[in-house]
This record gives sequence, C-alpha cells and structure tokens, in this order.
Amino acid sequence: MPLLELRNITAGYDRNIILRGFNLEVEKGEFVSLLGSSGCGKTTTLRLIAGFSEPNEGSIIFGGRDITHVPLHRRNFGFVFQSYALFPHMTVFDNVAFGLKMRKVPKAEMRKRVMDMLALVDLEGFEDRYPREMSGGQRQRVALARAMVIQPDLMLFDEPLSNLDAKLRVRMRVEIRRIQQELGFTAIYVTHDQEECFAISDKVAIMNQGVIEQMDTPANIFNGPKTEFIARFVGFENFFDLKAEGGAWLTDSGAPIRLTQRTEGSAVKACIRPEDVLIGPPDAGFENSVPGEVLVSTFLGRHVQYNVRTAIGEFAVKAEQDHVYSIGAQVSLGLIANKIIPIPQTNC
Amino acid sequence: MKKRGMGRYIFLALIAPGVLFITVFMLIPLFWVILSTFQEGGSFSLNNYISLLDSVYFRQVFGRSVRLSLLSTGLCALLGFPAAYYISRYSRHKGMMMALAIFPMFTSPVIRSFSWMVILGRKGIVNQALVGLGLFARPQSLLYNEFSMTVGFVQLFLPQMILSLLGVMDAIPTDLTEAAGSLGATRLVAFLRIVFPLSVSGLVTGAVLVFTGCMTAYTTPQLLGATDTQVLSTMVYQYAMSLRDWAQASAVAMVMIVVTLAVSTLFNRLSRRINPLAA
Repeated sequence: MPLLELRNITAGYDRNIILRGFNLEVEKGEFVSLLGSSGCGKTTTLRLIAGFSEPNEGSIIFGGRDITHVPLHRRNFGFVFQSYALFPHMTVFDNVAFGLKMRKVPKAEMRKRVMDMLALVDLEGFEDRYPREMSGGQRQRVALARAMVIQPDLMLFDEPLSNLDAKLRVRMRVEIRRIQQELGFTAIYVTHDQEECFAISDKVAIMNQGVIEQMDTPANIFNGPKTEFIARFVGFENFFDLKAEGGAWLTDSGAPIRLTQRTEGSAVKACIRPEDVLIGPPDAGFENSVPGEVLVSTFLGRHVQYNVRTAIGEFAVKAEQDHVYSIGAQVSLGLIANKIIPIPQTNC
Repeated sequence: MKKRGMGRYIFLALIAPGVLFITVFMLIPLFWVILSTFQEGGSFSLNNYISLLDSVYFRQVFGRSVRLSLLSTGLCALLGFPAAYYISRYSRHKGMMMALAIFPMFTSPVIRSFSWMVILGRKGIVNQALVGLGLFARPQSLLYNEFSMTVGFVQLFLPQMILSLLGVMDAIPTDLTEAAGSLGATRLVAFLRIVFPLSVSGLVTGAVLVFTGCMTAYTTPQLLGATDTQVLSTMVYQYAMSLRDWAQASAVAMVMIVVTLAVSTLFNRLSRRINPLAA
C-alpha cells in the first residue's frame, strides 16, 4: 500500500480548474519529484498535500487514513518554501525550535534536537543569528532544519533552491539528497528544473496541464519518454513519423529505418536527440541514412549544431567540430538505431 | 564637480520655500510660546508651571486628558486589529473595504460630533433601543460626559489605526503563517506568535497617531464633553480666549507637547521589547 495517495483530485476555482481527476501514489521512503513548467499544477498539488488548501473533489489518503479535511497543523508534514519563510523576528534557534514548542517538547530535549539538527545542516554556531543576517543558502538550510526537526511523516519541498545561484543550487541539492538518505524520510519535491530533479529523485512525475504524463525513475524517463511532450522536455528535438510495412519501418519518404526497440502498432512517432544523429558527406554510408542540406550551423564551443533540412523534416544535429559543414552543404545524416525512441501514437 | 554644485543649488531651491514657511509660521511662534512660558514680568521664572502643578483643577484635567487618550488608543487598537487583519488576509474586496474604513475621514470632526449628539441624545437611537428593550426604565445620559468623548475619539481616529496596521500586515508574507501552520500552530497561535509581533511597528505608529490625535483634538471634547469634563485642549482655549491668560495657555500647550512626545517614546520602547527587529 502506498504511503500517500491522491485519488481523483479536482482543485481550483470556478473558471480556473487546475487539477481534474488527478491521481498520485508515493511509497514510503521515496523521493518523488513533480516536474513541470509553471502553471502545470505541481505547486497546487503540493499545497493540497500540505493542507494549505483543500481539493474541491477527491481524497488524500496518508498511511491508510483519509486526511483530506485534516487541518494543516495536525498533519505533521514538513514544508520547505521557495521563499524560505523564516520568521524574521526570531533567531535561528527559535525558528528551528518553533515546531517543537508547538508540540510542547521539554526544554532540554528541545535544545538537544535543535542543536543536532543545526549540526546536520552544517549551521553550528549560528543559533543566535537572525535570518536577515544570513545568506540565501544558509537561510534555506535553516528552513530545512526547521521542517525536519519535527520528525515529519512527509517532507514537502516547493522549489526550495530556485532563489539560489547555480553553484549553490548544485551543492544544496546534494545536501538535501544526503540528509534524505541519512534520515530516510519520504519526500515530494516540486521543481521546474529538469537537471535538479533528475539528480535528486528516486522517481520523477512529469506534469503537464494538470495531469501526470509519466512517472518513472529518472533513467527510464530520460531513455524512454512515453509522450512527445516528455520527449521534448528531456531533450529530444527531432521527431519523425514511421509506419510499418511488411515487417519493416519506413519513413514518410519510404526509406527503411531499423529500430532496436520492439514496437507495436502500424504507425509511430519516433524521436532522437541531436547528439545521437551522425553527420557526414552524402556518401558516408551510415545505417538509417537520411540525406539533407545544412540550413544553419551554430558554433557551441565543444560542438557545432546544425539544422538540416531533410525530406522527413528538419533535424537538429550536434556534432564534434572535426569537420565543419557550411550552409547549403549536401550531407547525409545517420540515425543511431538504438537511440531512436518510438512513441506510440495513441499517447500523442 | 560642476554638475554636483548645480544639483546642490537646485536642492536648496527646492526645499527653501517649505523650510521658510515652517520656520516663519511654526518654529518661530513655537519658540516664542516656549520662551514666554518661562517668563514673568520680563525675567526668567517657573511660576507659570508651578501655579499649574499646584492647581488641583489642572491636575484633574491633565489626568482626564491622558486617561481618555490612552483609553481611546487602547480601544482603537482592539477594534482596529481584527479589522485590519480581516481586510489584509481574508477580504475579497480589499479596495472597497479600505475605502469603507477610511470613509469617515472625509467628514469633518464637527459634523461627526454633531451626529453623535443626535445618536446619543435622550431621544437618540441608542436610548430608544435601551428603553425599548427594557434594559432601562428611563433614557440614560450618554452625552456630555467621558463616555461620549471616548466614543467620539474612537470613531475619529480608528481609520488611522486601521491604515497603519494594514500597511505592516500587507507586508507580512502569507508564507509565514502557512509555515507556522505546517509546524503545528493553530490559526490563533500563528496569529499571536507571527502576525502580532510583526505588526507591532504598525500598531505603534497607529497608537502614536491616535494618542496625539486624542490629546490635541479640540472640537470633539468641546462638543461631546461638558465644563466638568474639560481636557487640556479645551483648557488652552479657555485660558487664551476666555481668561486672556496667554502665558498660562502656553504653559498648558507645553505640557501637551511634552506628554505627547513622552508617550510616543514610551510606545516605541514597548514595541522594541516585543519585536526587537521593529524599526
């Protein structure tokens, strides 16, 4: 049985329904990310789980109990805000101790737990500071400690790193993952940063317009997107149609394409990443060869990106810069067979 | 360098009219008033103050002024806090609610005092209701006493309190109360521990405005009070206009200024103790 279950949730206002018939299951100890662009409903989902708002319909089950209408202060979930939401009039110690005070934990035990938690997030000696005297990274670690010290049954993160600079963001996400594995808590993490959520999560749920398009391990999503939306999201830029004829797959222009992935159906949309397309002279003799003409070539440092017009659509190709083709050059593209991902048409 | 010099002249030119106006019509007269209270027959003397402090009547008036002002300030805080909190957090028509809150400020204090005379009079709506409900056999005297003055003060200055509180409450992120909630605080506890301390600076600003307003208001105590409920401001008028004792009137005015400053400072100290970060 999953630890957390969202069943058939509808949420939003009269004219602006954000979630409709939404379902989600999270297992105990899992680190699950909700990934999507702004407005996809990921933050709404998180706020429903936290209890900041209630769904119009549907139920939220936690540990086998219906908590849909349990008020937030009785849920025992830790929440980490994008804005940190530290209490500006309290010291770091009082911020972290707040949840323990609410639980009437004895003074001595409270002190010990707060200090242990500050040590865990590497903030020993900061307990008497005020939030405004600290940097963004330090504040977010205080927020983390404050949410974790109550030993929550579930940790919720709402884009916690998006106010930090890029370097700190990478350090903090490693930190969060380390602490999560050390303490073994279940976490739901909302972000719009694909790299961040792939790096940190056991499972990623990619959301689009209020529904989860695919929920799987980062590797499975990266290598086997189930829809065109997800394929685009994880870096596939080249899409082309294939149809089955006499046991082989043919492009619209009739060229045979060999796939290594078993694929059902009579027609699929296939996709491939720019870095998995080879480029060479017209007589290069690639497998899955497609002839084309260079439209644009863009220098990207270690790579050169070409936009190539072919009979089955425009292809983006990322190639080593050992041989540079100029605009208008006739080339041949080779689609690496095991890098072509077929997307069943029904899911498009 | 040249540009900077020019900027300096422009700056001086821009503030000069205001400074000049305030100096001529406020600072110099005020200085004269202060000076005149320390003189008697052309030489330095504290007699104006000594005779004031000796007077039982003055001490009564002084006590009443401070008491009514503090009471009105307290009532404004009590009434203003929930109103401001509601408008800031839960109101769907915020602009409309704010307009309603400050609407009384568009009416002159004289008109508002007259309205209270009608409402609180022997045949006013309040007395009719009290008698009609059988709470009292005969109409009560609700007018020309400290009660009617306090009612007048509260209605006069409540908008200032609400506006001051709204200013700070709007600046408190809703994240903070949500964070408190997720850590186990009920709405009430979140309000007491988070919203209240962070609103104290607005409360202090409002309290100073209301208190100084009450201390210096003239028409309200004059119209809603009586001769036996004089306050400092009506006393100044009496000394100056009826008794033509300008020195004594100035001394009373000085007392008003000192009390107002003292209480403002006190409020500020208090707020710093509740919230060490309040500016």
